[in-house]
Amino acid sequence: MSDRAKAPQMPENLLNTLLSSGTKADLLVLFHRNPGLIDTVEGIARRMGKKGKGIETEVSELAKALILQKKKVGNSEVYFLNREKDREVQRDIADYITNRGGKKQSR
Amino acid sequence: MNTVATTGTPRVKTGIVEFDAMLRGGFMKGDAVMLAGSAGTGKTTIGLQYLMNGIKTAGEGGIYLTFEQHPDQIYRDAKNFGWDLEKLEAEDKLRIVFTSPDLIMGEGDPESLLQEPIKAVNARRVVVDSLSHMSMFANNDDIRQETYRVINFFKRKEMSTLLIWESPQILGSSFSISDVGLSFLVDAIVSLKFVEIDSTIRRAIVVLKMRGSDHDKSLREYEITKDGVKVHSSFKDYQGIMSGTPTRMASEKFVELMGKAAKRK
Repeated sequence: MSDRAKAPQMPENLLNTLLSSGTKADLLVLFHRNPGLIDTVEGIARRMGKKGKGIETEVSELAKALILQKKKVGNSEVYFLNREKDREVQRDIADYITNRGGKKQSR
Repeated sequence: MNTVATTGTPRVKTGIVEFDAMLRGGFMKGDAVMLAGSAGTGKTTIGLQYLMNGIKTAGEGGIYLTFEQHPDQIYRDAKNFGWDLEKLEAEDKLRIVFTSPDLIMGEGDPESLLQEPIKAVNARRVVVDSLSHMSMFANNDDIRQETYRVINFFKRKEMSTLLIWESPQILGSSFSISDVGLSFLVDAIVSLKFVEIDSTIRRAIVVLKMRGSDHDKSLREYEITKDGVKVHSSFKDYQGIMSGTPTRMASEKFVELMGKAAKRK
């Protein structure tokens, strides 16, 4: 059974995780608009006009949610968008919104 | 055919027909080319056109490596030329990598940074935007060495490289590609310049160096059209184009004066 099939309530939880802070939403927008972004926390923060300290918790949470991936480049740790997971999440959220819309209409 | 053998050497076409003719068929395969020009001369447009041509006519995957300009802006600007870069990324033909120079220079490692995108699109062409920005992240003593390392990384991957160099001067006679001798590291140098002619700003392109190949030595006018860059004829009636403020040659002045005199009569 796929992860999608066994976790039908996931989108709501996931939405809560993704949108639990403004910084996280900003990060999501940045990576969605620039899917080739691969940088250190400090480098990512610079693209947002922020300091690294201000986003490191959120970056780490997005990595835990598998939206971002992490790897070593030289001595640095860099983050980048997990394109496959991102597509999956987008599909799930779209399905969720469609289904919710359907339920509301049938009430 | 895009990568053609001209006098025995495989060439990498830019897709700008007249420019390829200036290069006697295109850049030499695997060469590192410096494209130098000030802001607004169309360096990014030429870089994208070079990648687009590789994808569309030669099936060569491309990577656009940007340090400053956000890819969403590049996607938007490319759409104005009819190039859908997001679609090409979805089709695994192109990757726009947005990163920091220090992940490539110094303690950085281009191999681990770019391994995935190079493999994903089977990249044969890369545009680095920009070499000038990258060099800001190395000590003056290390710039040559570090740039040499990056150029050789792409050569080892059998990729043809276009390195963008941002010249600070918009108009004028100074033409310093770099103060640290980077021009010796590249195989070819193409310069883009603004020139003022009859109170109008026009654009000029010239191939300054092309290792191992003949090339057009003349300065040619070019413009940025809705389809990308188009190169026109040379400024044959002017001298001092490189100074940025050319003057008409004596013979042309004579013809003009005679023409005016004839009209008066």
